Amino acid sequence: MFEHILSVMIFLPILTGVILLMTPASQGIARITGLLVSLAILILGIDLYVHFAATGYLEFVEKLAWVPSLGISYHLGVDGINLFVLMAASLLLPMVYLVFTTREKGFYANLLIAQGAMIGAICAADMVLFYIFWEIMLLPIFFMMGLYGGPKRIPATIKITIYTIAGSLLMLAAIVYLGVSYHAQFNEWSFAISDMAKLNLSGQTAILFFFCFIIAFAIKIPLFPFHTWLPDAYTEAPTAATFVLSAIMAKIGVYGVIRFVVPVFDEQLARFAILLACSGVVGMMYCGIAAIAQKDLKRMLAFSSASHMGIIALGVFCMNMQALTGSIYQIVAHATSVGVLFLFVGLIESRTNSRSIEDLGGIAAKAPVFALFFAIALLASVGLPGTSGFIGEFLIILGAIKFNVWVGVFAGTTLIIGVCYMLYMFQRVFFEKTNPNTSTFKDLTLVEGLTFLPVILLIIIMGIYPHPFLSKITPTTALQFAGDTPVVAQTVATNALFPELTIEKK
Amino acid sequence: MTNDIMLLMPLIIVGLGGIIVMIASAYEKFTIEVAAQSTAAILAIAFLTQLSNSISGNVAVFSETFNSILVVSTFSKAAGLIILASGIFTVLSSVAYFKENRFCTSEYYCLVLFAVTGMLMLTMSHELITAFIALEIMSLAVYVLVGYNRDNVISTEAVLKYLVLGAFAGAFLVMGVAFIFGATTSTNFAVIGQYIAANGFMQTPLLIGGSFFVLVALLFKAAAFPFHAWVTDVYDGAPIPVTGFMATALKTAIFAVFANFLVVDDGMHAGWITYLFYISIFTMFVGNLIAIGQQSLKRMLAASGIVHTGYLLIALVAISSQDFSGSVIAFYLAAYAAATLGIFAALSYLSGADEKRKTFDDFKGLAKVRPYSAAAISIFLLSMAGIPPTAGFMGKFYIITSAISAGHVALAVLGIVSSIISMWYYLRLIISMYFHEAEESFSDILPSRLAPTCTFVLVFCVFAISLYPLIV
Repeated sequence: MFEHILSVMIFLPILTGVILLMTPASQGIARITGLLVSLAILILGIDLYVHFAATGYLEFVEKLAWVPSLGISYHLGVDGINLFVLMAASLLLPMVYLVFTTREKGFYANLLIAQGAMIGAICAADMVLFYIFWEIMLLPIFFMMGLYGGPKRIPATIKITIYTIAGSLLMLAAIVYLGVSYHAQFNEWSFAISDMAKLNLSGQTAILFFFCFIIAFAIKIPLFPFHTWLPDAYTEAPTAATFVLSAIMAKIGVYGVIRFVVPVFDEQLARFAILLACSGVVGMMYCGIAAIAQKDLKRMLAFSSASHMGIIALGVFCMNMQALTGSIYQIVAHATSVGVLFLFVGLIESRTNSRSIEDLGGIAAKAPVFALFFAIALLASVGLPGTSGFIGEFLIILGAIKFNVWVGVFAGTTLIIGVCYMLYMFQRVFFEKTNPNTSTFKDLTLVEGLTFLPVILLIIIMGIYPHPFLSKITPTTALQFAGDTPVVAQTVATNALFPELTIEKK
Repeated sequence: MTNDIMLLMPLIIVGLGGIIVMIASAYEKFTIEVAAQSTAAILAIAFLTQLSNSISGNVAVFSETFNSILVVSTFSKAAGLIILASGIFTVLSSVAYFKENRFCTSEYYCLVLFAVTGMLMLTMSHELITAFIALEIMSLAVYVLVGYNRDNVISTEAVLKYLVLGAFAGAFLVMGVAFIFGATTSTNFAVIGQYIAANGFMQTPLLIGGSFFVLVALLFKAAAFPFHAWVTDVYDGAPIPVTGFMATALKTAIFAVFANFLVVDDGMHAGWITYLFYISIFTMFVGNLIAIGQQSLKRMLAASGIVHTGYLLIALVAISSQDFSGSVIAFYLAAYAAATLGIFAALSYLSGADEKRKTFDDFKGLAKVRPYSAAAISIFLLSMAGIPPTAGFMGKFYIITSAISAGHVALAVLGIVSSIISMWYYLRLIISMYFHEAEESFSDILPSRLAPTCTFVLVFCVFAISLYPLIV
């Protein structure tokens, strides 16, 4: 549509949010403004998606020198890797304004700032710019949790903030290290992500900074064993913040791994891939088993979300095209399924004033449409064929088996745990007998129904006809493995059991 | 010659201004308001002169005029700008502070001017005796400022501590100067540099001893480990605007002369680098340890000042004598000064009469009553913590870049670890202000509009500095 579409998508919500905070606008005006801005972003996002040409390289590029002496620039762009994360960040937010209608002004303003910062982090093609947006997007979450969260919000807020800031400061050191190494090897300063793939990194220091990156992203995803902030934060945060955290921010962590670690630290990743993949599988099992035992609906979903993030991360660490494509696909599938489930739980909580699974029951009889939507999102999250979750998980398991049979087998069987806790929960919440809490449960209103309908349809379309979506991703994922194949393949061979299957050649 | 005088003009304006304000203070008509306004005006004129000097950009070394005793460089100009700006903001926030804490006389403002004179001279001095004189001009004024509230026991204790220890540091400096003169037969930085280049640093024990004593004095003034123990008590006892002034302008002046002294020759820098390496690590972590335990806001900021000294020492470790520009140090000092002055400007109108609001708990619920002030304080704290897009982040980014570039990866990583720890006490105040209910109404009338204006100008600075690129 126009030249600076990405800048507009980043700064329109941020500026609107800041202006809302600075002016004495009423709660209603804040919500309407937020809704209008997020709808504008949605339209821009769709426009961008339609015009995206899938060349495999960065499109919609904007570049402006910022600190020339260090080669830092204001550099944005979209390719097949971040397109879908960008879509998740730009298309899903209007739902929040339509579903949660009675929150405070600061709530909506912070949500806007979070959206702008997330889009900034996703589109940034310069490491310093990425880091800046990566840090900014934590601040609105900090304030939303601390101001509008549940009763035990303050410890949870401190925990998530210190955890993520610790991770991101380590990443800052790693970013600086990459910039300095680039200067040392090519005698010019650059912090552009695309330049970093040329680097030839080896030795102890490279491993140290490789882990700095991995820890930063592992905390955000969160990957076992850096997940301990998640249950508290997801439970105590207001539902909209939980939605943003699980549906979008966690994905930016995965995106970070794909963007920074896979092309730059190929040698180190190949050496430690088996370790990281195992940590993904362990996280899947551990969080899945923990989810079965939860009594609080939101906490259960928190564990389930962590469990599913484990498989997305696994897809990245398998280092072949199928798994990577599956991960990117699963990013959207997970955002539309688990993210939406969080919103549904928010609805249940506002209608019954309870999140405890024991207090609920028989909702299906009272609210059939709601139950249907819930069921579709739930089945997509467990990966039922015909829903979006199936395609992504199938590709990841396929890639995992190519990478290492045992990892693939464990990942595949662990999916069953997901089915267990989800269906067990669904039975107790939606079937069985109604009780005083749920006997007056109202079905979705027309506005709510229409809000969720596009997402539910998207889940089904993505499940039945994935080709148009996959064709946008594959050119870039193919490029990721085109250049560095020899190095990666050689090192993986020493680690994996079946060397001849490890790396896909373009 | 005219050019030289222009470069020296800020120093002359502030020095003469100080004398005029001191004489005028004898007249009763010269009220403290008038004194404050004229002091701010003098500093503003000096600032604009310095700014025009910096923009015109011709670096004239007036070695012929002053026998290379005073040298102006881009670094000294930048440091001068930071010092003058700190002076202006200190004066303006003092106005609000003294509306509620009535122990001010007009002489307070001429002391600020004298201190600024000493600091400006310190940034330019490339000779040890001059550095000593400048240091003492600055220190004497600051001693009086620290103890300005004579009725307050804590304030008196603070000035006694600072005076005795500061005098020790001054004596060490003089002894160091004597040793160095004994070794090199000169006190001039350039000649010392030539001597080291010709004879080597480690081969002259007298020189090692001399520079050791000089470093002790400078580390003391800069509040670095192991000479940091005075900081919390002195900062706590001083009036709020003076604390802000000490934390910013004084530190800037000291680091300017520190850097200039270290880069006289590679041999000097190489000789001390290992010790500075460990000193900076200990400074950061000891500062953090002290800051974590504090209940009082002023003491926490004092301890966090120690941590920032540690970061600046990282930059000192990473400098090289060949192409020294000091831009990383100047940028960090500017970023740190904007945030620190801002928070002290805000405290000077928020603490109330007799500084009654002291601890973290006293500021609970501030965000609900004074949303803009709370937001400004949060931005300053985030800048100190190094969260983008504030100036503090860019400052820290440049320091880490310079450390890794110079091959000190461990130092960079430890600096990062230290800033992770420091998040705790910066966040604590934000959490108090935003996430707790108010225990009091904060209903005192705003004493003056000047301090809030300063605060918001500094908020603007915090963002503007971060967007301003570093010129290496």
